[in-house]
Amino acid sequence: MRSDSGAPEAPTTPGEPTAEAGPPPSDAPEPVVAEPPRRRWGELVLAAATAALGVYVLMAAGSITVPGSTNTLGPRAFPYLVGGMLLVAGVALVVLVLSGRAGEEEGGEDVDPTQRSDWLTVVLLVVTLVVHVFAINVVGWPFAAAILFAGAAVVLGARPWWRAALVGLVLGLVIQVIFGGLLGLSLPPGPLLEGVPFLRG
Amino acid sequence: MDNFSALLEGFATVLHPVYLLWALFGVFIGTAVGVLPGIGPAMTIALLLPLTYSLEPTAAIIVFAGIYYGGMYGGSTTSILLNTPGESASIVTALEGNRMARAGRGAAALATAAIGSFVAGTIATVALTFVAPVVAGWAVQLGEPDYFALMVVAFITVGALLGSSVPRGLASLSLGLFLGLIGTDTLTGQQRFTFGVPNLADGIDVVVVAVGLFAVGEALYVGSRMRHGPIEVIPVEKGWRSWMKRDDWRRSWKPWLRGTAIGFPVGTIPAGGADVATFLSYAAERRFAGKRRKQFGKGAIEGVAGPEAANNAAAAGVLVPLLTLGLPTTATAAIMVVAFQSYGIQPGPMLLRNESALVWALVASLYIGNLMLLVLNLPLVGMWVRVLSIPRHYLYAGILLFGALGSYALNFSPVDVLLLLIVGLIGFFMRRYGYPVAPMVVGMILGPMAEDRLRRSLAISQGDLTYLVTSPFAATAYVAIAVLLGVGIWLKRRERATGVAPIAGDGDDR
Repeated sequence: MRSDSGAPEAPTTPGEPTAEAGPPPSDAPEPVVAEPPRRRWGELVLAAATAALGVYVLMAAGSITVPGSTNTLGPRAFPYLVGGMLLVAGVALVVLVLSGRAGEEEGGEDVDPTQRSDWLTVVLLVVTLVVHVFAINVVGWPFAAAILFAGAAVVLGARPWWRAALVGLVLGLVIQVIFGGLLGLSLPPGPLLEGVPFLRG
Repeated sequence: MDNFSALLEGFATVLHPVYLLWALFGVFIGTAVGVLPGIGPAMTIALLLPLTYSLEPTAAIIVFAGIYYGGMYGGSTTSILLNTPGESASIVTALEGNRMARAGRGAAALATAAIGSFVAGTIATVALTFVAPVVAGWAVQLGEPDYFALMVVAFITVGALLGSSVPRGLASLSLGLFLGLIGTDTLTGQQRFTFGVPNLADGIDVVVVAVGLFAVGEALYVGSRMRHGPIEVIPVEKGWRSWMKRDDWRRSWKPWLRGTAIGFPVGTIPAGGADVATFLSYAAERRFAGKRRKQFGKGAIEGVAGPEAANNAAAAGVLVPLLTLGLPTTATAAIMVVAFQSYGIQPGPMLLRNESALVWALVASLYIGNLMLLVLNLPLVGMWVRVLSIPRHYLYAGILLFGALGSYALNFSPVDVLLLLIVGLIGFFMRRYGYPVAPMVVGMILGPMAEDRLRRSLAISQGDLTYLVTSPFAATAYVAIAVLLGVGIWLKRRERATGVAPIAGDGDDR
């Protein structure tokens, strides 16, 4: 099922302690334990967060206003149920992780299971998306799209960077023409292209 | 009403040249995106949803039918030709198909998948034509508790039963239910869990969650451990006419029919959709193989023909509960509900009566899309092979871009893109720690519906809980849950016995 024929890169031995590249996001502390469960801490945090969310939902559900007209089952009942389920699942997972039964991470065609997590890439992708979000209203959608595409491609290993930038710019403009111009989605073309007729539906 | 003439009317609508072009467009784009590695049908539909926002409902539905079948089909090409299969959902096809391709029989594997999909798709669409009106007629008589029972069945089967880990499935489902709670309560108008943020008063858009979990989460996860080095696509010999030898036909036709017979019924019941169907078909083919059983695991054509047919038949079967009960039984179906709602169509028992022209146009375009797929895919396989070798950095950058476009286009508000990123991060961590994401999407969509049904039921019974189980249908459904749980455990044992890796609960690909 899983092919390992001719994988060119030297696989990391799974037994190696993980000193992960780059700063980890705040909610996933650096794994300090080596194998066996090298991803134990992050998983523990996720399980605990699920349980904590459950507790929060249970508490917050009590403060939902119940209008006097409500018969039998009001707006609080379902939140109580959901909070309970979150708490049960979270606690069960904490127990599971502590007893050493870590989850099986997901496979995929482009996922190299022997690779260590590259946190730097994840952080940079997130930063690119955030920049994209704030760029939309400043430079217009096509350029914000170019920033997102080029940024993500370069972070993921596209070289040279100017080719990625060029592809991104062309892609952004083409999408703007097709979706904004032809299909009538109101994507803001931005100050630079304001007044170009075929960019707006 | 006479269903046959209604269907003919549907054909008359769809055969209009403009609509035919839309159908071709849908099939083409669906296959193209479905072929892309790492993108399953659910993500294909979520990503392509913005394409249809500005179309009128009939055209949108027709494009959609094409995308649905095309996306389903595209995945098989990926798992057969890429030297690095690993997605749990396509594991059965990859098992035999990828071995065949490596033994130089890739063309035969692709052909049996394409023709099998066509045969199964056609038979299953015929079955859909006859079954859907019957189910719809019967669904009208169901009461509130019956619907609630059906939803509980869907929660349990999609959420927890079929995952490799029940607690992780439950956690994912509950997270989805929680996201569904955010917003204004429909019955009392109270705001719940909005944290005082006005943007949240209308709830979080399901498209943002689906695209965030499937597209952004996937891109981040792949980015964190990208497979570097050259992409190995197994070459396919030229000349598609000679692909299927006489022997291949002889060995394929029975698995096609058996796969269809297994796939359609499994698709119609809320039992996890196509994943289960492909696995059952694979197991059946192994049993019927007789002397050839030794070939299984080394590239037996039956192991591609059966599961691929089952997959497509199940895809049509899933439409039965979706259209007649409004009940999505897979993540892909759940996103389709969202798509329908965005066109102002509410799937459910009244759909066939109120929007019968639209429904029959959809069914007719399924027939046509299926035919187009066959015509398109046999000659164009060379092109799909090239799509497979698209550089991964551009591929995932493109996925991010289209995901961002889709969420931005919802309200043209950058806040939605920011939400998309947050959901994407959640999806990333879920993937990394083996939480299935499909139950979360299903929970978010079905949760508010289930709450509604439950509260209406109890309002009718004035708080009497026994009302939920006294109707014969609801009682049967709860008994069925118990049976399903039993069968689920049995299936897992079978899987281990046949040596197939456990089907991970993540149904995001079929």
